[in-house]
Amino acid sequence: MKSVIRLGAGAGFWGDALDPALELLENGQLDYLGFDFLAELTMVLLQRLRRKNPDAGYVPDVVTYMRALMAPARERGTKLVSNGGGVNPRAAGRAIADEAKRQGLRGLRVGVVAGDDVLPRLDALGVPLTNMETGDDNFAAIRDRVVVANAYIDSSGIIEALRGGADVIVTGRVSDSALFVGSIMHELGWRHDEAHADRIAAAITVGHIIECAAACTGGMSSRYAEMPAMGRVGFPLVEFRHDATAVITKLPATGGRVDQWTVKEHLVYEIGDPRRYIMPDGIADFTTLRLADDGDDRVLVTNMTGAPRPDTLKLIIGYEDGWIGEGMLFFSWPDALGRAAKARETLLERFERLGLRAEEMHFDLVGVNMLHGPAAAPSIGEPSEVGLRVAVRTRTFEEAEKVRRACSHLFIMGPGGTTGGVPLKPRPSIALWPTLIPRDLVQQTVSIVEVT
Amino acid sequence: MTLLRDIAYVRSGDKGDTCTIGVIARSEDAYDAIVRSVTPEAVKALFGDFVLGPITVYRMDNIHALSVVMERALGGGASCTLRFDATGKAMGNALLRLPILPTDGF
Repeated sequence: MKSVIRLGAGAGFWGDALDPALELLENGQLDYLGFDFLAELTMVLLQRLRRKNPDAGYVPDVVTYMRALMAPARERGTKLVSNGGGVNPRAAGRAIADEAKRQGLRGLRVGVVAGDDVLPRLDALGVPLTNMETGDDNFAAIRDRVVVANAYIDSSGIIEALRGGADVIVTGRVSDSALFVGSIMHELGWRHDEAHADRIAAAITVGHIIECAAACTGGMSSRYAEMPAMGRVGFPLVEFRHDATAVITKLPATGGRVDQWTVKEHLVYEIGDPRRYIMPDGIADFTTLRLADDGDDRVLVTNMTGAPRPDTLKLIIGYEDGWIGEGMLFFSWPDALGRAAKARETLLERFERLGLRAEEMHFDLVGVNMLHGPAAAPSIGEPSEVGLRVAVRTRTFEEAEKVRRACSHLFIMGPGGTTGGVPLKPRPSIALWPTLIPRDLVQQTVSIVEVT
Repeated sequence: MTLLRDIAYVRSGDKGDTCTIGVIARSEDAYDAIVRSVTPEAVKALFGDFVLGPITVYRMDNIHALSVVMERALGGGASCTLRFDATGKAMGNALLRLPILPTDGF
């Protein structure tokens, strides 16, 4: 058994940069490289792709990534674990295996972890699907509009695939941290029991710190101005030890930085109660751990604790909730704010003339309050330019189209100096219905294909 | 007047319609001032009708940080909100406007 497991994070989202992942693979002496491609929003986008084409629905980037990384990973004995399977992990596995075959990687084993998609059995689950955010228990009211339903599954399937000798693993909606927890648990032979609760919590904590890649090496940092060479940022590398302590670091001579602050910044990202960071593999308590500097770009994390995995899994159901029509217009000095106010008035008149049936309407002043809303500071002085953004929720595509059209009308009907850019196409609105279901209702499936 | 921007770092994001903001003290002294000043009431007053649900502030004494959890805070959530900042990435920076409450001797 190795004394230290070396894990890298190769992607923090669908759209992330490939070059830092390749650099980490080539120079990091990695045992595992994990890739997080999914977010709540991503699953909805992928579902839309699968509805158009039953062979789609995985993150297309996953094939691009594996094309570039499979051969060097094999040479170095690094296993690649990603959740790029999205809502169609089997199709992703086929595409990756085809690509491996084209590259002549005979004997390479591609593992597919699925079972998270409960859409086909939604009515047979036999449990109340109460919305855990709103408390609403009238699921029947939205049932016929449901388009996607995936449970956040734990690392069991990844562990099974690794045990089966998989070199490349692609999964559906496993939790982000499971991409790393699975590799650690497999390597150290841990089980999901009470005795391992603290150690699994340590793996979850470390997974959480690195799962968004550059987000713990200077990306998104409040200290971004002092971060060196962020265009050549190094992705994070973890040295995970048997005693469930870990060092977060990155390759030398890469951009960005790893220090206590960059680690803290991601530790606090998108968490609720820090004493109970609930993941399908276990519950991590972020309030006991200690951070210490361990040399340049090295942070030691110790004393991580937690509790055993919950009996329930989070299931996110997405359902169609009408359309969004959106437009943006820009106005120049002098009196840009005055022009924007008058343009808003004109837009409302256009909406009325077009008979727009709006369910909800939202205006922003770009450059004034679009990002901070009521928390924005009052505008002082005369800005050189201001934008007016409008977004409207409608029942149908046709209604949403009226918003786009009305915004275009202002190119000439609007104030002098109005410039509109590209009119925005209506987009479907998908609402989420998060709920909890008993863990045993979701059975993971693992299949391994050997490339011939 | 000292503002939160002078003594804290932030990072924000989303979980459904919930927006979470991590607030990190730049020093131990700053942490006490932040705990005193970043209250659910102060956060609610800052965001007004941008945040419709309850607000909870959790402490992380070990790393001198807070987790601010704001429910019904993103206009329905990333996949259906009418807001431009659909995932609340800029909400943390908005929080930096909060004034730091003085105490005797601070």
